[in-house]
Amino acid sequence: MKITAIPGKILNRFRSIINVKRFSKTWMGKHLTMIQLMELDACMHCRTCSSQCSVAVAFEGIPNINILPSEKIASIRALASGKELTPEEFRNIQEGIYLCTNCYRCTVVCPAGIDLQKLWFDVREILLQKGYPEYLVLSPLSFYRGLMKEEMVQNDYQRPLIQAREAIAAQCDLMKRKDKALPLTPTDRPFQSGLNLSAQAKTFSVCFGCQTCTTVCPVVANYENPQEVLGLLPHQIMHAAGLGLRDLAFGSDMLWDCLTCYQCQEQCPQGVCVTDVLYELKNLAIKYVREKTLSSVERT
Amino acid sequence: MKLALFLGCTIPARLKQYETSSRAVLEKLSVGLVDIREFNCCGYPLRNIDFKVFLLSSARNLALAEKKNLDVMALCKCCYGSLKKADYLMKENASLRKEVNKSLEKEGLKYEGGVEVKHLLSVLYHEVGLVSIKEKVTKAFKGLKIATHYGCHVLRPSQVVRFDDPVAPTLFDKLVEVTGAESIDWPMRLECCGAPLWGINDGLSIDLTLKKLTDGKKSGADYVCAACPYCHIQFDTVQKTILSQRNLNHPLPSILYPQLLGLSMGIDSETLGLKMNKIPISEVENLLTEQTGLPG
Repeated sequence: MKITAIPGKILNRFRSIINVKRFSKTWMGKHLTMIQLMELDACMHCRTCSSQCSVAVAFEGIPNINILPSEKIASIRALASGKELTPEEFRNIQEGIYLCTNCYRCTVVCPAGIDLQKLWFDVREILLQKGYPEYLVLSPLSFYRGLMKEEMVQNDYQRPLIQAREAIAAQCDLMKRKDKALPLTPTDRPFQSGLNLSAQAKTFSVCFGCQTCTTVCPVVANYENPQEVLGLLPHQIMHAAGLGLRDLAFGSDMLWDCLTCYQCQEQCPQGVCVTDVLYELKNLAIKYVREKTLSSVERT
Repeated sequence: MKLALFLGCTIPARLKQYETSSRAVLEKLSVGLVDIREFNCCGYPLRNIDFKVFLLSSARNLALAEKKNLDVMALCKCCYGSLKKADYLMKENASLRKEVNKSLEKEGLKYEGGVEVKHLLSVLYHEVGLVSIKEKVTKAFKGLKIATHYGCHVLRPSQVVRFDDPVAPTLFDKLVEVTGAESIDWPMRLECCGAPLWGINDGLSIDLTLKKLTDGKKSGADYVCAACPYCHIQFDTVQKTILSQRNLNHPLPSILYPQLLGLSMGIDSETLGLKMNKIPISEVENLLTEQTGLPG
């Protein structure tokens, strides 16, 4: 038994050296440290990380296997092996890696001792710099990235944030009109009826435009000329939703600069769940823009 | 009393002192804690992306607690707000409940609405009570001025979270005053800390944080007191970054509530993790006296 075990071990060692060498020559591999390349090879795909993952449950609703840490590392390994990916595959990996609360649970339980947290962080930045917009950067998942910003180059840090907003704005034609005169387009009914995920979001229809939400908003209050910076203000977004003007609602920076502090909703005399509506608009905007841009990427 | 402790993602990874200090304080007050390892993300950061995923994520935690017949106590106010919201929706909306439970069923779980979601502060105030806390205060503070920061997601939307009066809350102020400290009146006490935008729009986040901290400082506070990892990290780690960027050197340091209470109960600073705060707070110990919390 012992005699056969030794050659096996040596063989493994050799395979490992060959793999690491191969990884180090690819685009992804060049950005990673030697230890990380060895870690990619060391993963046994035992899935312990995925069983402890804080956001694994999201896979139930977002069918992207890269949400699960064990599959993330498999995808990174494929990238490091030089596998050619379609833009869609690439964006799925990017999204999967971003959809992470950085809770360290995967890293703590990994039996191979792989520093998964560090790997996610590094690969996330490498992928983001590739230039495909990642809309999840506009969610509180970015809190950790913000805390780590001193370890990054300033431009590299800002670029994905700007890109995501630009990519959304690019799909909102009405926002680009300088004269702001709206054509008498028919109401976008599918968009209006799409605001129905929770009963709260339907309340936009009873807004009577008193502007209380906008008056109490700390984000609006932060600017001398808020419309210039934020686009539509909260009461105008409620109104846009009422008119079915999807582009105006999605294209306003107000949506992404909302703190979700709920001041507007708490004080609305009409019981409009303003913050909940904004939340839901964000969901719809991400879905809409993702579908639209993915199909255009596939076409080119 | 036994409660399922909901730590969330941020505390174990980035704010261990909040966990250790809370555990130490609750142990003194005989509040039993149960750890449920299967708990996952409360859903808060996922709400921007996908409402259904947020709800499923949050409700799964409630289902796990319900299975063990325990109420949930969150330390994070964003976790509290999310779990409350999920609890509210699961009770109010039958079709959503059905849909979520169908997904949970695959794991043998379901949520029927039998869990009460609480926050550390509401447990201390309502379950333990100010009188019992006062009995344990052995070294009351003297001459300490605290800017008490409530945090948005416990106060609003009040219809859902039901923590305290959303316009004129007093719960946290009373808890701070039990330690002998003075909870000052400051105009911006109910405003947002700025953390939800950190990493998304840092310029705006900094503006809001600085405005709030400057207001606290101007109103005479020695420390700002938080009971939420996001608010605290914003006031501590992020404030430190802001100060070094803008060459300012007069911070308003942040102390976590269980650190403040723990000190007044005579718990050692090591357990409370005072040194783990990025902006030093150890000077607060100089204001401790040998007085008890009880009058006379």
